[in-house]
Amino acid sequence: MSESANYADAHAVVLSSRVRLARNLRGLPFPDRAPSAVRAEVCQRVMDAARERLPLQEALAGAPTLRRQLLFEGHLISRHLLTERPESAICMDAAHSCTVMINEEDHLRIQVLQPGLALEKAWQVANDLDDFLEQKLDYAFSSTLGYLTSCPTNVGTGMRASAMMHLPALVLQNEMEPIANGLAKIGLTVRGRWGEGTAALGHMFQVSNQRTLGLTEERIVEDLGEIVRELEGHEQNARARLKRERRLFVEDLAARAKGILTAARLMTAQEALERLSELRLGILLGLVRGLDVQLVDELWLAVQPAHLQAAAGRAMNSAERDKARARMLRTMLKGRTPKRAQKENPHE
Amino acid sequence: MLCQKCKVKEAQFQFTKTEDGQVVKLSLCAECAAALKMPLADKTVDLSGMMAELKNQLDQLQETLAADTPPAGQHACPVCGMKRTDVLKKGRLGCDRCYEVFGAEMVPVVVSLQRGDQHVGKVPKRISSGLRLSVETGRLRRELDKAIAAEKYEEAALLRDQLRALSAGKEQL
Repeated sequence: MSESANYADAHAVVLSSRVRLARNLRGLPFPDRAPSAVRAEVCQRVMDAARERLPLQEALAGAPTLRRQLLFEGHLISRHLLTERPESAICMDAAHSCTVMINEEDHLRIQVLQPGLALEKAWQVANDLDDFLEQKLDYAFSSTLGYLTSCPTNVGTGMRASAMMHLPALVLQNEMEPIANGLAKIGLTVRGRWGEGTAALGHMFQVSNQRTLGLTEERIVEDLGEIVRELEGHEQNARARLKRERRLFVEDLAARAKGILTAARLMTAQEALERLSELRLGILLGLVRGLDVQLVDELWLAVQPAHLQAAAGRAMNSAERDKARARMLRTMLKGRTPKRAQKENPHE
Repeated sequence: MLCQKCKVKEAQFQFTKTEDGQVVKLSLCAECAAALKMPLADKTVDLSGMMAELKNQLDQLQETLAADTPPAGQHACPVCGMKRTDVLKKGRLGCDRCYEVFGAEMVPVVVSLQRGDQHVGKVPKRISSGLRLSVETGRLRRELDKAIAAEKYEEAALLRDQLRALSAGKEQL
C-alpha cells in the first residue's frame, strides 16, 4: 500500500486523538483567584519543571494577538487563552504534539495529540509527561476527589480525552443529530470543531468524555475508543450507502467542490471548510482522482486566518485574506509549486 | 411619648374615643389605662405581646437562614478568599482548600453528574504519607465491597486484615 493510501486508511474518519490532563499546584489559588505574583511563580515553576521535555516555551501574555490566534487555530492553546491572560504561557515539544498550557483555567493543562485513532497512546504519553512534571511539582490532590480543579466538573482524573472525526456522510444522510443525542446520554460530548452542533463546519466533530470521577483513565480512554470505533463504522456505512444509493449526488458535490477550490478568486474560511469536506469525501469514495487526503488535511489549518497571515508574513484584512486563501488553494490543489503553507501543527 | 394622664410613665396604649362628637386620641400608661377602666382587651393593641411575637418570627427566620449558610467563619475560603456566593454563582472553586470549605455543598452536586463519588484513577507519587494511607484505605475498601458482592469470602477476609493493619498503622502516625 502506498504512503498516501496508508494515510487515507488510517485517517479516513478519525483525524486525531487528544488527551488533556488538568493539574493544579498544592496550596496555591487557582489562576482566576491568584494574585499576579502567585501566577508568575506558578508560571516559573512549571516552565522550569517542563523545560527538559518541552523546550519551546513562550509567554502568551503580551504576545501579539496573531501569535495567540495561530496557536489557537492549531489547537495548541484553548479559547480561554486566546484572550490575553496575565502570566499565561505555553510549553511545547519540537513536534508540537505535547504541550502544557500554564495559568489557563487550571495551573497546568497537559495536552497530548496523536494522529488518527490512538487514544491509549495519547494517554500513555500524557501520563508519562505528567509523571515527569510531578517529580518537581506538588499537585493539589484529594484521596476521595482525586486531582482538584478549578471547575468541579473536572475533578477526579482531570482528564478529557477526545477524537477529532470527519463525519460528512452521517450529516448528509441526516443521521448525525440522533447520534449526538444518544452519545450525550452515555456521558459523551459531541461538538463541532468549528461551530456548534450538527451545523459543524467541514462536518468536523470532536467527541469527548464528560465524566472524570469514578473511572480510571484507562477506562475513560477504553470507553471512548469503543464508541469512536462504533461511530467510525456508522460513518463508513453511511459513506458506502451514499455511494451506492446517491452516487450522482455525491459525485456532483465533490466535483463542484474541487471546481470551486481550484478556480475561485475569492474564498471565505467558511466556504473553504465546507468545500474541503466535500472534496475529502469525494477522494475517500474514489470519486475524485489525482488528489490525496493528506493534502486536504493540511489545508484545514492552512485556510485559517492566522495561518494565512503567518504564511504571507504580514497582517491582512478579511478581503485580502479571502483573495490570498483562494490563491493558496488554487496553487496547492493544482499541484503546481508545492509551496505548502507554514505548518504550525503537523498532526492537524 | 409620655402618658397623657400621669405624665410620668411611657405611654403603652393608644385609645380613640368620641367626646362631644369629636374624635379624641389618648395615649396612656398601663396603670392609668387600668385606673380609667379603659377596655384593654378588645379595643387596644398589646404592643409588648406583638413585639414578642415579632421577635419569635425573626428568630425563626434567622434559624432558617443559618441552616442555608455554612457556620460562621466559613463564608469565605481562608486561603483564596473565595466567597460562598461566588462559588455558587460561578460554579468554580478558588483553590484546593475551597474543596474542604465548600465541599459539603459542592461535592454532592458534582458527584451527581459523575460515574461515582470516589477517585479511582491515577495517584501522584509525591503526596504525604497520610494522604497515601487514605488513598490505600479507599482502594482496599472498594476491593472488599467487590469481594463481598462476589461472595469471595476468603479474599474478603484477607482484605479486611489488610485494612485493619492499615488503620493500626494510621494510629501510629
